[in-house]
Amino acid sequence: MPQMNMVQAINDGLRHEMKRDDRVVVLGEDVGKVGGVFRVTQGLFDEFGDDRVIDTPLSEGGIIGTAIGMALYGMVPIPEIQFADFIFPAYDQIVSELAKFRYRSGGEYPAKLVIRTPVGGGIRGGHYHSQSPESQFIHVAGLKVVCPSNPYDAKGLLLASIRDPDPVMFFEPKRIYRAAKGEVPEGDYMVPLGKAAVVREGSHVTIVVWGAMLYEAIAAADEAKAQGVECEIIDLRTLWPLDIDTIIASVKKTGRVVVVHEAPKTCGFGGEIVALINEKAFLHLEAPPVRVTGFDTPFPYTLEMEYLPLAHRILPALLETAKY
Amino acid sequence: MAKWEFKLPDIGEGVTEGEVVSWHVKEGDVVQEDQPMVEVMTDKATVTITAPRAGRIAELRGKPGQVIQVHSVLVVFDLDAANAPAQHAHAHANGNGSGNGAKKDEGPAATAVGDIRESLPGMTSPRPPVAAPPTQLASSLAESASYFNDKPLATPATRKTARDLGIDLKTVKPSGPQGRVTKDDVLSHVAAKPGGARTDARAPVAIAPSAHAPVAIPSVPVDARLGVDARQDERVPFVGMRRKIASKMQQSTQTAAHFTFVEECDATALMAMRARLKSAAEAQGVKLTYLPFIVKAVDKALTRHPILNSALDETTNELVYRKAHHIGIAASTDAGLMVPVVKDADRRTLLDIAREIDRLGSDAKAGKSKTQDLQGSTFTITSLGAEGGLFATPIINFPEVGILGVHRIKERPVVKDGQIVIGHVMLLSLSFDHRIVDGHVGAAFAYDIIASLENPDRLFLDMI
Amino acid sequence: MAVQTSPPAAPSTASPSHTNDPDVVRVLRDDGSLDELALRRPAFGGEGAADPALDAQQVVALYKHLVLVRALDERLVTLQRQGRIGFHIGSLGEEAAIVGSAAAARPQDWLFPCYREFGAALWRGMTLQAYANNMFGNAEDPAKGRQMPDHYTCRAAKFGSISSPIGTQITQAVGFGWAAKMKKEDLATIVYFGEGATSSSEFHNGMNFAGVFKTPTIFLCRNNGWAISVPVERQTASASFAIKGVAYGVPGVRCDGNDLFAVYKCTRDAIAHVASGKGPVLVEAMTYRLSGHSTSDDPKAYRKEGEVEHWKKRDPIARLLKHLELKGLWDASKQSALESQIDQQIKDAVAAAEKIPAPALETMFDDVYAELPWHLREQRAALTNGPRAKGH
Repeated sequence: MPQMNMVQAINDGLRHEMKRDDRVVVLGEDVGKVGGVFRVTQGLFDEFGDDRVIDTPLSEGGIIGTAIGMALYGMVPIPEIQFADFIFPAYDQIVSELAKFRYRSGGEYPAKLVIRTPVGGGIRGGHYHSQSPESQFIHVAGLKVVCPSNPYDAKGLLLASIRDPDPVMFFEPKRIYRAAKGEVPEGDYMVPLGKAAVVREGSHVTIVVWGAMLYEAIAAADEAKAQGVECEIIDLRTLWPLDIDTIIASVKKTGRVVVVHEAPKTCGFGGEIVALINEKAFLHLEAPPVRVTGFDTPFPYTLEMEYLPLAHRILPALLETAKY
Repeated sequence: MAKWEFKLPDIGEGVTEGEVVSWHVKEGDVVQEDQPMVEVMTDKATVTITAPRAGRIAELRGKPGQVIQVHSVLVVFDLDAANAPAQHAHAHANGNGSGNGAKKDEGPAATAVGDIRESLPGMTSPRPPVAAPPTQLASSLAESASYFNDKPLATPATRKTARDLGIDLKTVKPSGPQGRVTKDDVLSHVAAKPGGARTDARAPVAIAPSAHAPVAIPSVPVDARLGVDARQDERVPFVGMRRKIASKMQQSTQTAAHFTFVEECDATALMAMRARLKSAAEAQGVKLTYLPFIVKAVDKALTRHPILNSALDETTNELVYRKAHHIGIAASTDAGLMVPVVKDADRRTLLDIAREIDRLGSDAKAGKSKTQDLQGSTFTITSLGAEGGLFATPIINFPEVGILGVHRIKERPVVKDGQIVIGHVMLLSLSFDHRIVDGHVGAAFAYDIIASLENPDRLFLDMI
Repeated sequence: MAVQTSPPAAPSTASPSHTNDPDVVRVLRDDGSLDELALRRPAFGGEGAADPALDAQQVVALYKHLVLVRALDERLVTLQRQGRIGFHIGSLGEEAAIVGSAAAARPQDWLFPCYREFGAALWRGMTLQAYANNMFGNAEDPAKGRQMPDHYTCRAAKFGSISSPIGTQITQAVGFGWAAKMKKEDLATIVYFGEGATSSSEFHNGMNFAGVFKTPTIFLCRNNGWAISVPVERQTASASFAIKGVAYGVPGVRCDGNDLFAVYKCTRDAIAHVASGKGPVLVEAMTYRLSGHSTSDDPKAYRKEGEVEHWKKRDPIARLLKHLELKGLWDASKQSALESQIDQQIKDAVAAAEKIPAPALETMFDDVYAELPWHLREQRAALTNGPRAKGH
């Protein structure tokens, strides 16, 4: 089985789907000739031509709006937003239109896109190349939100997202675009949406995490284990719809939970997860659920490593929760 | 001399590795800043890498023809202290972690923005294996009916209580919904322990609740002199009913400005009336004690002195004149101090009051008091035990503004028409909250009661 | 000559031929001489600027500045290659368009940049040190180490703060000038953007509001041929970028963006126009992005070598030098003196910047709001009392 990094896995997935289904169209800024600024769409233009791999003018609203139109027609568009930080001109189309099409039309007009966009920091990108805006999309009824942490899941979730009948926000953690490597099957396979992965079992503390921070959580859990605290690590993979059963089963086992995310704390997705845990597993809690997150400031440049919830900040949370 | 590793930077042309073509310098050379060091060939072009700072070349890592990964060490410098790169955040531009990945990576490159690394510290493992779905939990908690639960269910508040008392939740019999251990379960568990408090193992009876929550008893550190000595002190958990009482007492004395008024009451006429009416009451199945008369006297006095039937609402800063006359009768029982309440004494006949007192008393003795019978008093009467005492300073049943303590009728020498004779004297000790009740107001109220008791016939005048 | 009312057959690109179109304002000839007629012809009709020309002193000063800007640009690329700074997005080849227009601004006028206009910021008073500090993200960076390099701020220079999203500065610049107009202050704003930004809804909104409310806005479009890898033909089907103004009632003009005199003159005419209350104008400076989009981009992946070579021959600094030499205003010894001086200036600024430490940790929480609310006080305490990141 070939070894790939996440860029290659997604590239492979796109190629696979474009071959399988001629309704699939990729569009975005610099996705065609140059293969994307992160090279995720590299080679697709040469293989499928400029009818199906389209360099668009500089307009996120235009990209998503026209992609929605294509979807209504019956295509399967996979628009790319170059950095999630630049998605906001398209937010109107996503929130007002894409998310509500099926509902407002009584099912006459399902609108399906997979919007691919790199998220996350730790790459010296400052305010506008580092954000993780997932909660701003989870909060909108009608959208699904996915964030793989490794190449196998990236391709598998991408294929599942493309074939899912609902619009999917496909967030790619750019920090590990190349550093995350692993075996990726050639050909067809899927990782189902809405299913988290228990990456490691443990009985003392549950860690709920996704994206690039999974590896920080693993590092912190290794350290914690050396100090006698065994952590169970849940990689969400799909943020919404959330695999609540896996989380609750784990919390019932451990009674202690730490949620980790890059996005700022306030109204971050961690708050929702903690609220659900309180609702469904209150009596099982031995300690208050804890969130280790980015701070409520714009994403800083020079101090970004102090901002991110890296292993050095996750570890104390694990230890304190364990001995609460 | 400080050693400094210079790593092959992301030279911005979107490449991940380069081949060393030729070196312009050798180990041991001293170079100037920007001096050409090496030619590196990439997919696109051959690039000259210049020295980022001055120093001596300690080590060259790469022979001509060798392929070097971006972010792996290319040259090791010996720097002067003055030239050592400053230890600040932006120095991480050259990367932390040696990242000496020798594996050839053919992945596509990154452009536009962002330092996308080939490898990151702590990410040496390949894709974490997807673990099997979480195994079935050893105990299925929802259906569990087992007594000792390996994973007891309890609210965080209960867990804290248990922890404070040093109780392992697993050993407590759960009686709550969903098989959960309740706080009462924990408290009862403690009380039932040998050498524990005298409280009943059953759920303790609630004290008449007030508008305010009982004040938490602050934990006062035990006097260090109470250390362990040869005669072992017995430590009994101060919990349950006793603790609730303590808390209420503390709240009352800390809130109300207590003053006590004591006066004698000539009980001669009262005793005679009771003696006359006793059998008529018995015929109706009612035991007639002095208490119903006292309750009636208090009821009438409250009508004439309504301020004694009030309560201060400190949240709205209003004095609430209660319309109903709910008279609490405080009594000591095996289960502790209880205050059953005769509701609507102003609407009850004497007999009715007697009957009600009877009922409340037997319920309390049997431990069957209903919650509503223990709540809502607007004025309280307290007896001070079998011997009665001379006088006392009773503590007000917060948030009421007065309390009447009744002492046992005793034979006393009294002065009558200039003569000393044997009289039957019942002393009354009343405490008032001076924030609301002034001395003369309290006294007037007391004399009103006394008047009714010394001349019980007078009650006819108020009878409807 | 201003507006092209009938679109020509082929779309306008930054490709060689179109800068020869007759309606493109050009003053500096290939031989270094100036076309006086073109210089005096008002770009937006009416009387035009009273002073569209540069005197010898100004030209020399501008030349020196362009050389500094170019040297700085190249130096920053080297620093990035050496791993000493993280990123640089420069203006290689566009110096005349940026600096020429900035030089035409009056002291009271405001500049709203895209992110390539450090040459303009420096001309208007941002210090080299401040810029270097921003590139290193140190404690004395005006942006306090918060933003990535080339995202500085310099209010003292009447130069707006920079963000990465495309085109957002356009509507803001319109609003700023609008407010000045409401307050009857004689002030013009020059807002910079690349031709790619004209595809954004910001451009549409800005132009439309400006047209309706007749704000004193000079839309300075740097048509440099490429938006990362997307060429002009893919960006618009319009005949030019200047002509887009017609849709908004905003007169537009194209000028040779690599001709310092043309850029200066068109901007002077623009200021005269907007300052007289006639409303906004659009200036399309036709130029070329000689390097990649930024230090992380390799343009060889998507454009032809021949195209770059052609534009190298039209290098704005080389052309200006030719003019100076023709007028006897410059020589080789002046050049070498200038180069060493600039070299030293840059070295000093970089060395000083590298010594300044990173901003203090607590500063991360300042300026989110005017006053620090409770939640940030808590987070600041948690961060400063907690463990530090390893190896950073």
